[in-house]
Amino acid sequence: MTPDRDAGPAGSAVEDAPCGYLVMDHLGRVVSVNATLSRWLGIPAAELEGGEATAIFGLASAVVFETSLLPLLRLQHEVAGVSLDLKARDGAKVAVMMSADTRGEGEERLTRLVMLKAGARRDFERELLQARADAEVRLSLAQRQGELREQFVAVLGHDLRNPLAAMSSGVRMLSRRPGEAQEAEILRLMQGSIQRMSRLIDNVLDFARNRLGGGIVLDLRSGDLEAAIRQAVDELRAAEPDRAVRLDLSLAHDVPCDVWRIGQLVSNLLGNALAHGDPEEPVSVEATTSAPGALEISVCNRGAPIPLGALEKLFDPFVKLGTEGRKGLGLGLYIASEIAKAHGGLLVVTSGDVIRFTFRMPAPAVEG
Amino acid sequence: MVFAHGFGCDQTMWRHVAPQFADRFTVVTFDYVGAGGSDVTAYDPDRYRTLDGYAQDVVEIGHALDLNDAIFVGHSVSAMIGALAAIRAPAMFGTLVMVCPSPRYVDDVGYPGGFSQADIDELIAALEENPLAWSASMAPAIMGTPDQPMLGAELTESFCRLDPRIASDFARAIFSADNRADLPKVAARTLILQCRQDILASEAIGAYVRDHVPDSEMVVLDATGHCPNLSAPDQVVAAMRAFL
Repeated sequence: MTPDRDAGPAGSAVEDAPCGYLVMDHLGRVVSVNATLSRWLGIPAAELEGGEATAIFGLASAVVFETSLLPLLRLQHEVAGVSLDLKARDGAKVAVMMSADTRGEGEERLTRLVMLKAGARRDFERELLQARADAEVRLSLAQRQGELREQFVAVLGHDLRNPLAAMSSGVRMLSRRPGEAQEAEILRLMQGSIQRMSRLIDNVLDFARNRLGGGIVLDLRSGDLEAAIRQAVDELRAAEPDRAVRLDLSLAHDVPCDVWRIGQLVSNLLGNALAHGDPEEPVSVEATTSAPGALEISVCNRGAPIPLGALEKLFDPFVKLGTEGRKGLGLGLYIASEIAKAHGGLLVVTSGDVIRFTFRMPAPAVEG
Repeated sequence: MVFAHGFGCDQTMWRHVAPQFADRFTVVTFDYVGAGGSDVTAYDPDRYRTLDGYAQDVVEIGHALDLNDAIFVGHSVSAMIGALAAIRAPAMFGTLVMVCPSPRYVDDVGYPGGFSQADIDELIAALEENPLAWSASMAPAIMGTPDQPMLGAELTESFCRLDPRIASDFARAIFSADNRADLPKVAARTLILQCRQDILASEAIGAYVRDHVPDSEMVVLDATGHCPNLSAPDQVVAAMRAFL
């Protein structure tokens, strides 16, 4: 070993300075180490000298040193503040912060490494990283809650639209043709719409209080199913007086269900059929009970078939059918489908010349 | 001629080698996603869970450049990425140059990978736990070298910039890979460049690759360490010229 004039620590101030110091040659061999580094490693200096410099590091640090730091020293001749682990003879790890530089070319090339103990600093860095990870988790949670809130607002807007449209249309008619009999009928419809809106708002506020947990909750206390369906259909008829809507009800059996929700389902399906069907063709709504507890409702319209690709996603939230800018948030079918599921039923669609949405409860048994 | 960098750095690894071939070849260098000037938003942890994702990128680069019978020069892990790409698209790469390759870092029966499974587990855990080990690489470093002012222009660039999290994933993909079964499928003419005292890929591993890649030869360079493209670029260039 021939200590370099600049590099050799022997007898110099760095020999027992509170830092590790190592000089390495162009082949990556240790030229010299100071007493402090030798003490940290528990290995005599004479034993380290001539060996591979990477041997002083733990495995991961050796790999980083070889693949990243040595190239950097070649390219920019200096690295600073790298967090590495030394590996002592007894297996203990010594966390250090290393800075290094390189001088000279070819066989004269020497690299000097200075290391400071950095155990406490490493703990602090680890805490910072942990804090960052925690903050990211909290942020993504907050973002998800934000999305839910947006969805919530969208649902609110959607559900309030149909009854509001009916009321607005009713008011328009009242102001156009004041006649007693009609007035009474329109007022009845308006009253129904107002009731439905207030129920919606109650529901939405409950929902908000519960932080949007757990899907659609049913109220199975008995109600008038037929009246609920008629109300939903009449509301939309009033909103679109030029459209023909056929209603065919055959509800002989008792069906435990949330009648208000079923009304919402019909309203959404019919609203969808009116929005997307051929305006010259009638829309039909049929509801039958084939046995106690067995309800089937179908809504049919004629019009352009639904493209195959769109069929798959039809019941996802915020999916819009057809032309851009068409009214609706794309929530109606999603909500209808969720209502069907909440009843242990299923909402399916077939699309050909006739587009038919069918709700069945209980859901048809799946074969196999 | 496509140059691909290895683990821990970026395409600047090739700055002393690639230009030497610009007279005879169209030279292409690139950064894998997460390294150098790449767009880290393109990173997809699933795609890059294994080396196949990286090989797919190489093939996509080859398609974009319309490569036919090209030369792929891969350092370190890129040697295997190149092998996978050449198996996928044999017409694209007719020649491979593998610099310090290893098809598997973990020891196996009759195969001296150089690391025990416990070593690799410790390595990956340590890299994940201490991403600051990369901190010298991740910062766009503008550092003074008072005694070498001519390097001033270069120093405004950043060398070996890495996204530490992607680097940890990359380490996991690399050190858990086993591409030994792929070697016999390599149809390309292959040159293996090997260094002495390479802590990542010993001479025995270089010889293993030579013995299992059908049309291959190995040259042991008079260089130490894992990065002869920086420590001994002249030897790398000379060996490649002789082969080509």
